[in-house]
Amino acid sequence: MIIDIHAHPVLYDVINPDDEILSFRKQQFGVFKSGRVPLDFALRLMDNAGIDRTVIMGADYSADSPRPLVSNEEIRKIVDAAPDRFTGFASADPRKADAAETLEKAFTELSLSGLYLNLSRLHMFPDDPRLEPLMKFCQDMDRPVMFNGGYSWTPDSPAKYSEPVRFEDIACSFPRLRICLAHLGWPWHMETIMMLMKYPNVYTDTSLIYMGTPARYYEQIFCREMDIDWLQNSFADKVMFGSDLPRWRQVRAMEGLKELPVRKDVLDRILGSNAEVFLGWRKKDER
Amino acid sequence: MNVKLYEKHIESRKEFDLILITDEVRSAVAESGIKNGMCAVITQHTTTGIIVNEGLPCVEKDIEILLERLVPHDYPYVHTHMLPSYGTCSGNSPGHLKSLIAGNHCLFPVIDGRLVLGHAQDIYFAEFDGLLRRRYYIHIMGE
Repeated sequence: MIIDIHAHPVLYDVINPDDEILSFRKQQFGVFKSGRVPLDFALRLMDNAGIDRTVIMGADYSADSPRPLVSNEEIRKIVDAAPDRFTGFASADPRKADAAETLEKAFTELSLSGLYLNLSRLHMFPDDPRLEPLMKFCQDMDRPVMFNGGYSWTPDSPAKYSEPVRFEDIACSFPRLRICLAHLGWPWHMETIMMLMKYPNVYTDTSLIYMGTPARYYEQIFCREMDIDWLQNSFADKVMFGSDLPRWRQVRAMEGLKELPVRKDVLDRILGSNAEVFLGWRKKDER
Repeated sequence: MNVKLYEKHIESRKEFDLILITDEVRSAVAESGIKNGMCAVITQHTTTGIIVNEGLPCVEKDIEILLERLVPHDYPYVHTHMLPSYGTCSGNSPGHLKSLIAGNHCLFPVIDGRLVLGHAQDIYFAEFDGLLRRRYYIHIMGE
């Protein structure tokens, strides 16, 4: 199964019934010129990219915003429209007193599959004590957490809050909690590599194409700034395919990744089986 | 002079997609009621084109191969970066350049209420950056 582990459904038509809500999401997420995307068309785009399942992120910054960017109920609505193609991650604003309650409802009543947090947008460092109850609950419920790692294109989101090494306390304190530091933690990708190698519960994704074509940028990161054998031999079980849709089209990110000079077993892991482990659908080979 | 403008919607099915629209243009001319004048077919986009050629799969394939040779998929294009005004990444420079080669419109005579085409001519909406939902105009001017 090919899985896109990192997508934002901010433009999908089923959650944007009117122009006012669409405009709110576009401004908050920072996709200013994009239009509404019909869900059936989104599925055709997945088909065109050869993607079986896309993991979509909720986003809740409602402590300083009139409503969640994408609420947990809206994520459930999208998943219900195509349950064989979408997996939904919840969100909860840790700055609000009812964050734990929101997350509990998302997991127990809405059956969402993980938690998404962009600490840069929340202006919270990973060692903020307000995160602890959410991390504990996710660990207890066996739900993974997708964190923005490093740079965030979302407006008002300083990168300092998402520096990969700052997540070390979470990785240590919650050893059974699977966490993803998205975007390879760029521009701190060497810190992310350290986290991948040291902590069995830390993952990353490939949603980091910020310059050049996908093929050229992946080559720059994985073959020039690293040796490609670092990926193949040291953390091939920790990297997941992610597009960061709608920042990049899924098909373009996929094409770029497939240009990397890696073994087929490594590519297969990146495109799907690592995500299955991260999502808790498959046991990790601990040997 | 009378002027009729029709906006047509279309959905491409792949990155490079030549979509025949001859029948749509003929129908618009017939519906317009304009007997003698000109018909312009114009795309609204910058990574598409309107082209005329013979409606044969082999010709369509040769057009695709030619444009791919002139504008390769992988090349150090300048238009490959994050666009602050969009909040998304560019990366569709080949589509822009193929659009430049194809042109954004075609013109046809309208005589006695009918679109005038050569016997081998068909009209295509040319997609160079699909899949996408697209729009084009059929603009008919005359008496």
